[in-house]
Amino acid sequence: MSERLEVLILDDEPIVGKRLKPALAKIGCEVEVFEDPRAALAVIDGKDFDIVVTDIRMDEIDGMQVLEHVLKKSPRTKVIMITGYAMMALAREAMEKGAFDFISKPFKPDDLRRVIAKAAQALGSPIDFEAGAEGEA
Amino acid sequence: MSSIIISTDLLSVGQMIAERTAQALGYAHLGRQILSSVAEKHQVREDKLVAALDEDASFWGLASKNRDLYLAYIQAATLDQFLGDNVVCEGLAAHLYIRDVSHILMIRILSDPKVRANQIAAQQDIPPKRARQLLERQEKRRRRWSLRAFGLAEADPSLYDMVISLSQIEADKAVDILTDTVGYRKFQPMTYSRQCLQDKALASQVRATLVPRFPGVKVQSRDRIVVVQTRTFKRNKRQKAEAIKEIAQQIPGVEYVEVHSNKDFLRQGKDSTD
Repeated sequence: MSERLEVLILDDEPIVGKRLKPALAKIGCEVEVFEDPRAALAVIDGKDFDIVVTDIRMDEIDGMQVLEHVLKKSPRTKVIMITGYAMMALAREAMEKGAFDFISKPFKPDDLRRVIAKAAQALGSPIDFEAGAEGEA
Repeated sequence: MSSIIISTDLLSVGQMIAERTAQALGYAHLGRQILSSVAEKHQVREDKLVAALDEDASFWGLASKNRDLYLAYIQAATLDQFLGDNVVCEGLAAHLYIRDVSHILMIRILSDPKVRANQIAAQQDIPPKRARQLLERQEKRRRRWSLRAFGLAEADPSLYDMVISLSQIEADKAVDILTDTVGYRKFQPMTYSRQCLQDKALASQVRATLVPRFPGVKVQSRDRIVVVQTRTFKRNKRQKAEAIKEIAQQIPGVEYVEVHSNKDFLRQGKDSTD
């Protein structure tokens, strides 16, 4: 694993990646942002990310499929699910399929940073969680 | 870690299963022992709190306004305990107000009806047939209570993740099943489920504070923003909303309060005829 955490963000709403990329860069993450799940999966096939943050509801390929794809290829990768349609059944399904965490939108960048820090800890690469609060993603 | 809520048709059975499960998991057992501190905090009689959990409101018994008040106190205290995780809860009707939190395993335990009927027969010194009739009446009363107090029929199996019948599965085996099931990944806490629980806990704190002065208020919370729904009539709408905001904003954890007032047609009608 490189010193900086390799993070992939996948959300079909451009604003999400735009807001989260600088927020995660602040805590030492190397971030790649995708809006198209197919393009994201193509990159995932060629590279092991430490953390994947994916939206659930997307056209063509949904977040659950991304979760399964990532964990099949790299079981050590921590997958964090984000959704604006959070429900108990969906949350349980994601956890059962191996998601590291599940966050409902809207959330503050600090909320995601906190989860990323937890994932980094679980990966054995603790990061310094220090950043000011920002707006909602 | 996850928590468990046990609902049952016989309090002593739920208590026994909850205690054994909590012991096996090293969790805290949360039951009616908290009612004494709830009574002390709110300066009410403990037996009234017990009555609110067991009896339907009636003309000669507990008034529905008081029942709602006592249940609001119990609800707030119970939810507060859940924030600490690792809880096995029974006897506090939590299955009816802590809903849709993914890391809480919801269980219904059905006691053996023959055992229940025999218990009633022995307690009241009546024949088994009469005891079975009493049992049926008790079940009807309980259904009416849960529908009136929380709008849910607590015997409805769809409210639970699992229903265990003790006439088919022994108590020890039921405990094994619970300790095993709660370890499933799908019942592990996550940011979303913790947030749901915190939102419910804050909403119930606000409601328990408002209900004595504003009976019938409904409260929802999301990420420390609290929305209060109340019934009011036009001429005191503003004063009431301001009073609610003033009280609610002082509760720790509340960042912003919004009050939605629905017209109180019934009271307006009553006022117009007075």
